Amino acid sequence: MKPRTKTKTTLSRSDTIVSTLLMILALLASSFIVMIAVFITAQGILPLITNNRGLGTVNLWSFLTDTVWLRGDYFVSTLYGAGFLIVNTLYIAFLTVLFSFPVGVLTALFIARIAPKPIAATLRTIVELLASVPSIVFGLVGVGLFLPIIYNFARSLGINSAGGYSVIGTVFVLALMSIPTITAVAEVSIRQVDDSLAQASLALGATPTQTNFKIVLLAAKSGIFSGAILAVGRSLGEATAVALVSGNARSGPSFGLFETTATITSTLLQGLKETVGIDYDIRFTLGILLMIVILLTNASLNFVKRKVGRLDA
Amino acid sequence: MPLKSRRILQLKKLSMIFAIGSMLALAACAPSTPDPVDTFKTEKINVYTRDTTSGTRDGFMRGIGFADASANDSVLVAGFVTADNNAIMAAMATDKAGIGYVSLSSVNNTVKAFKFEGVEATEANVLNDTYGLKRPFVLMRRVDGDYVNDTEYQLTLAFMAFLASNDGADVIANAGAVSTNGTGSWATLVADHPVCALDNSAVTLKFGGSDSVQKIAEALSKAFSPACGNVQTENDHTGSSDGWKRTQGDQKDGTVYKHIGYSSRFFRDAELAGPEGTRMQMAWDAIVAIGHKDNPVDNLTAAQLTAIYNGTSTVWGDFYE
Repeated sequence: MKPRTKTKTTLSRSDTIVSTLLMILALLASSFIVMIAVFITAQGILPLITNNRGLGTVNLWSFLTDTVWLRGDYFVSTLYGAGFLIVNTLYIAFLTVLFSFPVGVLTALFIARIAPKPIAATLRTIVELLASVPSIVFGLVGVGLFLPIIYNFARSLGINSAGGYSVIGTVFVLALMSIPTITAVAEVSIRQVDDSLAQASLALGATPTQTNFKIVLLAAKSGIFSGAILAVGRSLGEATAVALVSGNARSGPSFGLFETTATITSTLLQGLKETVGIDYDIRFTLGILLMIVILLTNASLNFVKRKVGRLDA
Repeated sequence: MPLKSRRILQLKKLSMIFAIGSMLALAACAPSTPDPVDTFKTEKINVYTRDTTSGTRDGFMRGIGFADASANDSVLVAGFVTADNNAIMAAMATDKAGIGYVSLSSVNNTVKAFKFEGVEATEANVLNDTYGLKRPFVLMRRVDGDYVNDTEYQLTLAFMAFLASNDGADVIANAGAVSTNGTGSWATLVADHPVCALDNSAVTLKFGGSDSVQKIAEALSKAFSPACGNVQTENDHTGSSDGWKRTQGDQKDGTVYKHIGYSSRFFRDAELAGPEGTRMQMAWDAIVAIGHKDNPVDNLTAAQLTAIYNGTSTVWGDFYE
């Protein structure tokens, strides 16, 4: 008993050093979120509370509800509106998940339960590779490959879309980006499902397909839902790829699949490097808006996830 | 329902989804047949524009007589697409019903360049002043005897000469404008400017005026400095009207004084008091309305372009018989 205590105390000294060090690093890392939030808020609140060098303040209510980005001349008018951007952003995220969730989850199911080992390993590597492709590359693929296809497809339906710049183009690119995320997370949680559950289901006479869909997927639903939340986060926050394929509409909201659109992030990005004054500051206000939208979406999705996780677990 | 028939049903459903899916894919990939001219008449015009921070947009909107749209998106036709230079070029290669505008230097054979008021957009037509959708880039220096010392005077003269040389013309062309000068290489012309053989790194030449010219002006400053004794340069662009004000006008002796003032419009009568020799034109910035190669329309007037961009005309049929 005694020597054991001794080793424990000697260990705990180096342990203290290490744990203090780690705590400092963790504090440093997490303090960045505070810094970001404070910086964005401090700059973004300016258009709403100052008179913007004599132009007048931006009205918060009309900023949150208006359907036109800016009424009047740039650098002179303060009649900014981002209401349609909020709707567009949520709508696009919803469509993206609607499209990428089934594909991602079924891919994960195939990799984890059905595919032979070598194929599963290859597919897993491919998915990981896809997940690490930078978003600008997805955007370029969108512009070069999807937009002409979407344009010609819309044309064959008799719809004159603006060069393919559209809601559906944006959703396609975002879905491509979020499928690997969903697959990677879902695959891990499917593999973690206790095999005895599946064995029991098979022993009761269920086919492998029935087992996979009714037992395994259900048992892994909490992890699968986490993947969907990550995908929503990615589609809410993506700027570059969206700016390339959305058409950057200045009014909205756009619900038609072949209409041009714009999200909070893509509007934030447009002309950011060249603009000054109120038109620059207002982008930080959009940043605040984006943080709030992401926070609220994630909070409500996590709430739903807890509800879903509890159901017939 | 017995399990077997249910599975068959599921299979049927699956194959149906497959069939519909592949039909859609086929439709998307099918080569689109060229549109007959008459169906194109009812085709809605897809309007593309640069965003409001763009100098090309300012030049285009002013050039077609729709200056209100220079910095205001809400006067444009509903449903327009905001895109950058490359995106507009790429879109015109795809979008049969699109219209956009780019600098003349960007135009290539993947798109159709519309004639403006009946004149084709070529460098020759820009230089002989028949092509109208363009704006001049001009500049003005301080008048003789209005310099702090002779070195600054000589350096200012050297800069004007550099601008007129082939080297200066290359810089302007690389920046996307059509240079109006280009006589002799700077390597030989520099002999006329002995000040450039000295070490000028303690002297600062100040440039100002039009902000549309800023990119070209900064490129010129950057090229001129090593070509003339490493003279320091300072570019502070605040708008065309300051080009005259801060060199020969009422701010010429203030803290914001400049040696050279640029303007992206010809100097106005009130600004022409100084001697002719203190002014010169360095370039034209020509802007071209472009569309898809299959577009049957060849020519557009300023009024027609305005009608397209403000939404008065929304179909291509308005512009050809």
